[in-house]
Amino acid sequence: MSMNYKRDQRATALDQKAKEAYFTASQGQLIWARFKKQRAAMIAAVLLAAMVISGLFAPFLSPYDPTIAGRDKDYTNGAPQIPQFCDKNGCSMRPFIHAVERERSLATNFRWVTKINEDKRLYMQFFMKGDKYKLLGFIPGSVHLFGVDEGKIHLFGTDEDGQDIFSRTLHAVWTSLKVGSIGVFIAFVLALIIGGIAGYYGGWVDSVIQMITDAVRTVPAIPLFMAIAAFMPPELTAEARFFYISLLLGFINWPTLARRVRTHLLSERNQEYVLAAQLCGAPAGHVIRRHLLPSFTSYIIVDLVISFPYMVLSETALSFIGLGLKDPVSSLGVMLQKATSADVLLSYQWYFIPVIFFIVLVMSFVFVGDGLRDAADPY
Amino acid sequence: MLQFGRFVVTRAIMALFTLVLVSLIVFTLMELVPGDCAERYLAFKNTQGSGISVEDIEVERQRLGLDRPFFERWGSWILGAFQGDFGDSCILRVNIAQLLGDKFWLSLAICLSALALAYLIAVPVGIIAAASNNAFLNNSLRLVSYLGLAMPNFLLALMIMLFSTIWFGETLTGLFSSEYRDAPWTWAKFLDLLSHAWLPIFILGWSATAFALQTVRALMSDEIGKLYVTAAAARGVHGRKLLWNYPARHALGPIVNSLGFDLNRIFNELPIVALILTLTDAGALLIEALARSNDQQLAGAIIFLLTASIVALNFATDILLAVLDPRVRKSIIR
Repeated sequence: MSMNYKRDQRATALDQKAKEAYFTASQGQLIWARFKKQRAAMIAAVLLAAMVISGLFAPFLSPYDPTIAGRDKDYTNGAPQIPQFCDKNGCSMRPFIHAVERERSLATNFRWVTKINEDKRLYMQFFMKGDKYKLLGFIPGSVHLFGVDEGKIHLFGTDEDGQDIFSRTLHAVWTSLKVGSIGVFIAFVLALIIGGIAGYYGGWVDSVIQMITDAVRTVPAIPLFMAIAAFMPPELTAEARFFYISLLLGFINWPTLARRVRTHLLSERNQEYVLAAQLCGAPAGHVIRRHLLPSFTSYIIVDLVISFPYMVLSETALSFIGLGLKDPVSSLGVMLQKATSADVLLSYQWYFIPVIFFIVLVMSFVFVGDGLRDAADPY
Repeated sequence: MLQFGRFVVTRAIMALFTLVLVSLIVFTLMELVPGDCAERYLAFKNTQGSGISVEDIEVERQRLGLDRPFFERWGSWILGAFQGDFGDSCILRVNIAQLLGDKFWLSLAICLSALALAYLIAVPVGIIAAASNNAFLNNSLRLVSYLGLAMPNFLLALMIMLFSTIWFGETLTGLFSSEYRDAPWTWAKFLDLLSHAWLPIFILGWSATAFALQTVRALMSDEIGKLYVTAAAARGVHGRKLLWNYPARHALGPIVNSLGFDLNRIFNELPIVALILTLTDAGALLIEALARSNDQQLAGAIIFLLTASIVALNFATDILLAVLDPRVRKSIIR
């Protein structure tokens, strides 16, 4: 009897604790608890994290330098090489690929022809030294996760210059993440300033700003973007170009965000806590920053996550038509530039492997954004 | 009736104002381009072998009226633009209206067909999906919508080309067969166009369909749970009649309103899809003007025309909405 009573007491105590944890939980904890329950969003979040990490450590994970410096001049337009454990000569514990030989003779009509030599194995090595790189831009290193003992391994094949598509893909994912982040950040700052002013002051200021925002929104963004990007001086370095493109993405994508900020502010600015702050003599900037913005931080984060894929896609589209990033930089658009030629479509379909990565990247952003939106909308 | 007339006039003035504002943005961008038309034209001439001097450029500037102040030139540009005259192309030295010719109308027709296709699919499917509790249907629709977001049209176009070359050995590109390309418009040419245009229409409509599906479904699910629907059901209205006469009519407003933005989205993809499918329309001209010849006059004209069609569509949907929904009319004019 008493034991039962004790157990009950413990149960209620636990219950109490859980309730207390719920009521005292911060906004972030609540969102996380709700987010965890959504399976699709969680899977997407894991994928996204994997993408971010693989992008961050791309120089280490990829076997070769993604630029022309890391090219394999003996294996251009080469097919993907899949590591295997067994072949007709038996099995081995260590995965290997078959060596590729190039020959040009009377038999091949004097053209270079690559042939797989099934008797020669190239064994995979892990943590081997290779091309030099700078991890995160400043940590020098030359160890790569994998490679083969002699020759080169190309998991996704090579392009017409002999550049390793696997290495380029990893770097391209990172490029997209970088462009997207900078673009989102710039759009965000612009949206906060413009939407903040419109929403806080309301009245005719709001009307005028809305009119301009709407006009900007009516112009189709990509053609406009193309127009601006086309007139960038062609002699820019790759880094400067990269920066300009991110900047442009930010400048083009602010109106939607600004509108959201304004709507939130308009509904919040008549609340009592704002009035209280104003009566205490707080200046407008202070009220916006310290009182109004925190009231919808979670919404803004969701909006940022949702607008991210558009940045990535716009960058890809622009680079694809040759107005965005240019060759030494690896980006999906740059890599796909050559994919429209008949040669590629007919015989080198592995040029399209990176597309899968990008669809996964964009999809996981969309799913995470959706999950966050549902999680952040509690009341 | 008078009230309705006033509503139309207000909307028309607002649309006109937006157009003027947009023209200012476009014109400013054209001006910001390093090097003006005179320099560009003469630089082009230089590559042909004849030398040019600073005086030549000055003379050319005066001839083109480039020495006048900014606002004066903007004024004359916008006045011309409203009459369909965009001046001469900087490099090709042809009148832009002539150069664009029916290419622009062709592009517009393709885009509008894509828009129509998107809504023809999205409205019924979205309504059915919102009304049914079928988990499989809802989940597959969700997946399609997400794919529409994640797979931009140009990637879709690339993929279709990839598979059509693998399986059919044909790339499905272009808008006309070679014998019709420069022929005058005839019925046969029109049929030939149709046999080629279905692919760009489908590709351009793809992501618009995905977006529209999501919008329709979300709006309908919101409306279906409301009390007036329950009340109607309690009065004995049921089935399709209940669905179409009650929640669908309420959801219609936002759907009609989103048409303009969907056209915007389709225009976004137009130049890139045109490039992949090697179409010979305004989208291709825009890429040509931007990526290859740096022709700001032509680029500005095309962007302005695209925006003008969006503004026109927005105006049309506003009027349509006011016809359909008296609440909208009254909210504008009190």
